[in-house]
Amino acid sequence: MSRDPRGDPSSRRRDEAVEMSQINPGYLDDSIGRDPNHQVINMDGRIPWARYGSARDAAELISELPSRQLDRLVSDTGKSIRARRKSQKTALHGSLRGFPHTHRPTNDLTNSMARNEELMDELDGDIRTNEVLRGMSSHHLTDKRQIKHDVSEKRKERTLSRKKHHEKLGTWKTMKYRVGMTWIHFKNNLKEFGYSLELWKSLMKKVEGHFGTGVTSYFLFLKWIFLLNIPVFILTFGFVVLPQILFRYNQPVTTVDNNNSTNVTSYHVSFSGEELLTGGGWFNDTELYYGYYTNLQVAVPLSNSIKYDMKYAYLFTCGGYYILCLFILAFSISKSYKKNYVEGSSTTSFYNVTRVLCGWDYNITAKQASDLKHKSFYNEMKEYLAGKGKKKKEKELSDSCKWFFIRVLTNLIVLGMIGGAGYLIYYILDKNLSESDVHIIGELTMPLVISSIHLVFPFIFARIGSLENYEKPKHELYIGMFRTMLLKGALLGILVSYWFRRLPGSVYCWETKVGNELYRLVLIDFIFILGATFFLEFIHKVMANYCCTEKLKEPEFDIGRNTLDLIYSQALCWFGTFYSPLLSVMMIVKLFILFYVKVVSCLQNCRPSSKAWRASRTHTIFLGFLFFFFLLTTVAVAVSIITIRPSEECGPFRGEDKAYDVVTNLVDSWSGDYKVLHEIVKVISSPGVIAGVLVILCVGTYYMRIVMVGHKEMVTLLRHQLTMEGKDKAYLLRKLQKVRSKKKEKLVQLGQGPGRILSGTAGLREPPEQGGKRIFTRKLVLNCICFYGKFSSKWKWYT
Amino acid sequence: MGSSHSVFSEQELNDYQDLTYFTKKEILHVFKRYKDLYEDSADENTKKTSSLNKDKILKLPELKVNPFSDRIVKVFSSSGDGNMTFEDFLDMMSVFSDGAPKNVKVEYAFRIYDFDEDDMISDQDLKEVVDRLTGEQKLSKDEMQQLIDNILEEADLDDDDSLSFAEFEHVISKAPDFINSFRIRL
Repeated sequence: MSRDPRGDPSSRRRDEAVEMSQINPGYLDDSIGRDPNHQVINMDGRIPWARYGSARDAAELISELPSRQLDRLVSDTGKSIRARRKSQKTALHGSLRGFPHTHRPTNDLTNSMARNEELMDELDGDIRTNEVLRGMSSHHLTDKRQIKHDVSEKRKERTLSRKKHHEKLGTWKTMKYRVGMTWIHFKNNLKEFGYSLELWKSLMKKVEGHFGTGVTSYFLFLKWIFLLNIPVFILTFGFVVLPQILFRYNQPVTTVDNNNSTNVTSYHVSFSGEELLTGGGWFNDTELYYGYYTNLQVAVPLSNSIKYDMKYAYLFTCGGYYILCLFILAFSISKSYKKNYVEGSSTTSFYNVTRVLCGWDYNITAKQASDLKHKSFYNEMKEYLAGKGKKKKEKELSDSCKWFFIRVLTNLIVLGMIGGAGYLIYYILDKNLSESDVHIIGELTMPLVISSIHLVFPFIFARIGSLENYEKPKHELYIGMFRTMLLKGALLGILVSYWFRRLPGSVYCWETKVGNELYRLVLIDFIFILGATFFLEFIHKVMANYCCTEKLKEPEFDIGRNTLDLIYSQALCWFGTFYSPLLSVMMIVKLFILFYVKVVSCLQNCRPSSKAWRASRTHTIFLGFLFFFFLLTTVAVAVSIITIRPSEECGPFRGEDKAYDVVTNLVDSWSGDYKVLHEIVKVISSPGVIAGVLVILCVGTYYMRIVMVGHKEMVTLLRHQLTMEGKDKAYLLRKLQKVRSKKKEKLVQLGQGPGRILSGTAGLREPPEQGGKRIFTRKLVLNCICFYGKFSSKWKWYT
Repeated sequence: MGSSHSVFSEQELNDYQDLTYFTKKEILHVFKRYKDLYEDSADENTKKTSSLNKDKILKLPELKVNPFSDRIVKVFSSSGDGNMTFEDFLDMMSVFSDGAPKNVKVEYAFRIYDFDEDDMISDQDLKEVVDRLTGEQKLSKDEMQQLIDNILEEADLDDDDSLSFAEFEHVISKAPDFINSFRIRL
C-alpha cells in the first residue's frame, strides 16, 4: 500500500489529478501555496504542478505546518548561527530557505525579523541580522540591503521606546558588545591585510583556470610547505643565528682562538666558489653549520648581568620548531582527514551523485580544459556504467592464483630494487669515508646517485604497477606512490643510520659533516627537479610538437611525482635543521624558485590531464606521507641528541657527554633555587606518569571509537526511519486526497458550500483568468483545513 | 583612498562587507572585474548603477566555458532575466568565493541544478545536468536512465524520484570535492 503509483514521470506530470505524493516532502516552496498569483517560471515547456488546484491545496496545507512558518525559520537560523559560533564543528544545516524564485516584497521578511527578539537586540542585533541575511539565498543583495536598513530603522525605534520606559542596559552587556564589535573590526582588518598579502594569487588563478583543481592542489601544497618553513626560519634565525652573529662581532678574535685554536686553524679557508656546490670549505666557518656555534654565553647588548646561553638556545629552539611543526602538521592532517574521510564516509557511497553534482570545476576558464573536462566526464561515466552493467564476473581460481603470484613477484622485485639501491648508497658512503682527501666529484657522488635513483625508480615502479593488473587505476596510483615513498624513506634511513654509527668519533666535527652532506643533498635534489622539469616537460613538449608528433603527446603534469619530490625535500630540511640551522632558508629559496619554474613549465608545456584527479583525498594521503617523514626525521634527530656523543671540538655542546645532558644539568641546577619546578619536572618525566598518560590516551581513543561506531549504527537506523516516514507521509497525503475528492464530488452535486460565503473576499485576490475555478478552489481550501486537524493527529502518531 | 574607492560611499562598502563574504578590497576588485565586462568606456557611476546585459556577463572567462552559465546568471539576476547589476554580480562572486560557507554554496548549487525551478531536482533536471556535463557527446538513452537510477538510488531517501533540498544537501555534505569545485577565484 505504501508504494507510490509513480510510474512514468512525464505522464504523471500531465495528469490532471496530480497525486499528492508528488509534492510529498515538506521542503516544498510554500510561497506557491500562499501566493495564488504566483506563476512558476517555466523552463522547458513542462507544466509545473503548482498550477493545478488540488496540488496547490496540498501545498497550502503543507505551508500551514508549523515547521514551514517564516518566523520559525528566522529564529531557527538565529539559533543555529549561535550554535555555530559556540562550536565550529557542527555544520549548519537548515539555513534560511525562504522563498526562492519569487520576488516577494521584502516587508514580510522585515516584519518577521522585527518580531525576533534576538535580531532586534539593540546591541548585537545588528551583527546577528547581518549574519542571517548573509546566509540567505532567497533575496538578492539589493533586497538584503533594503531589509537591513528597514530592520535597523525598526530597531532604532524600539530602542527609543525602550529608553522612554527607562530600561537601562547592564554594563556587562555593553562591554560584551564593545568587545564583540572590536573583534569583528579586527577580523575584517586582518582579512583585508591577509588578502593583500596573499601569495601568488593571480598565478594560482591562472593555473586553476587552465588545469582545474587537481594541478592547483600541487601548487597549494607547495605554498603550504613554503609558509610552514617561514616560522621555522624565524625561530632559528631569531634565537640561534642572530645571537651567534652578535657573538661573532662582539667577541674579540683572540677569545675564539683561546677557546678553540684547532677550530680556527683548520677552518680558515678562503672562498673559492666550489663551496656553493659542496657546501663545505669556507661555509664550514659560517653560521650555516652546527660546528660554528659557540658553547659560551653571549653577552646581551645594553645589559651586563643577563647572558644568553647558546647551548640552551640551540637545543630549545630545535625542540621548539619540531614541536611547532608537529602541531601544525597534526592539526592540518586531522582537519583534512575529518573533512575528506570522516565526513565523507557514509553507509552508502555516493559515487554517482558526487560525480554528477560536483562534476564541473567552476574555476576552469580555458576552452581546452573545459573540452577535456566534458570528455573526461563522458568517458568516466561511460566506463563506470559499462563496468557496472557487466556485473563482476567470478574470477577463476587459476586466474587469481596467477595474479597473486605475479604480484608477489613484482613486490619482491621492488623490494630487491630498493635493497640494491640501499646497498649502493652504503657502498659509496663507505668508500668516501675511507678516502682521506675526497675530490669534489667524489663528494658529490652520493647525492648525485641518490637523486638519480629518485628520478628513475618511480618510472620503473609505475611500469611494474601497470603489469600488476589492478582493478582500479586509483589502487595502481596509490601503490606506486607508496613504493616511491618506501624507497625515499629507506634511502634516507640508510644515510642517517650510517652517519650516526660511523661518523661520530671518526671525523673532525661530525655534525658539520652531516650538515655538509645534507646541504649537498638538498642542492642536488633541487638541480634534479629543475632538470626533470626541463627534460620531462619542456623537451618532451618540443619533441611532441616537432619531431615525433604521432608517438608523443604533450606531457601531463604529474601531480603525484611532483608532490612526493616536495615531501622528500621537506624531510631533508627537517632532518638537517639541527645540523645546519640555515637549511630552512635554503628550503624557502628553493621552494620560491620552484614555484615559478613549475608554474611557467606547467602553463607552457603541459596539457590538462584527461584523468580526473581527486584532489581532496590525495591531499590527506600526501599530508600523511609528510607526517610520516616528519616523525622519522624527528625521531632520528632526537636519537642523535639523546644518545650520541657530540664532537669535542666544535658546536654548542662540546664538552658534554650527550647533547641532552644540557637539559638534565639544567633541571638538576634548579634543585637548589626552584625546588618546586625541579620536583614537577621530575614527576612529569617519571615512568609512572608517562605510562599513565599513555593509558589515558588509549582509553580516550577507544572511547571515541566506540562512540563513532554507535553513531554509525544510529545513522543507519535513522536513515531507515526516514525512508519509512517518507512512505507514511505519502500514504497519508494520498488518503487525504481521496477523501477530499469524494467531498468535492459531493459539493459539485449539491452545488453549494461554505465557499460561497467566502468567495467575495477571495475573489479580490484571485487572478481574473482563473475566475470560474476560484470559488471552487476556496472551497477545497476550507475542506483542506478541516481535514488538517485529523491529518495532523494521525501524523503525530506516525512521528 | 583610491580612485575606484570614490565610486562607493563608505556606507555602501560597509553594507557590502556586512552582507557578503568579501572584504572591502575584494569588493573593489570585484567591481573592477565587473567594470571590465562593459566593453564601452562609460563612466564608473553608470556602470555601478546600471545593469549589464546577460550576454556580456557570460563573457566572464569562468562563465564562458561553464555549461551551467545560463542557470547561474538567472539565479543571481535580481530581474530574473539574466541581466545583472553590480550588486547581483557581487552576490554571485561572494557565493563562489572561498569565504562562503558550504551551506550557502549548497543552496545556490541546488537552485542552479533545479532547471524547472520547482524546488526539487527531478529526474529531468538530473538528465539535463548530465547532458550539459558530457558536452557534445551524449550518453545513450539506456545509459542515461541507468545513471539517473543510480543517482536516485543513492540519494533519494524518501523514494519520490526526485531530490529535495535536504537530500541534496545531505549528499553534497559527504562530497569533500564540492567546496573546491564550486568556487571561482577572484
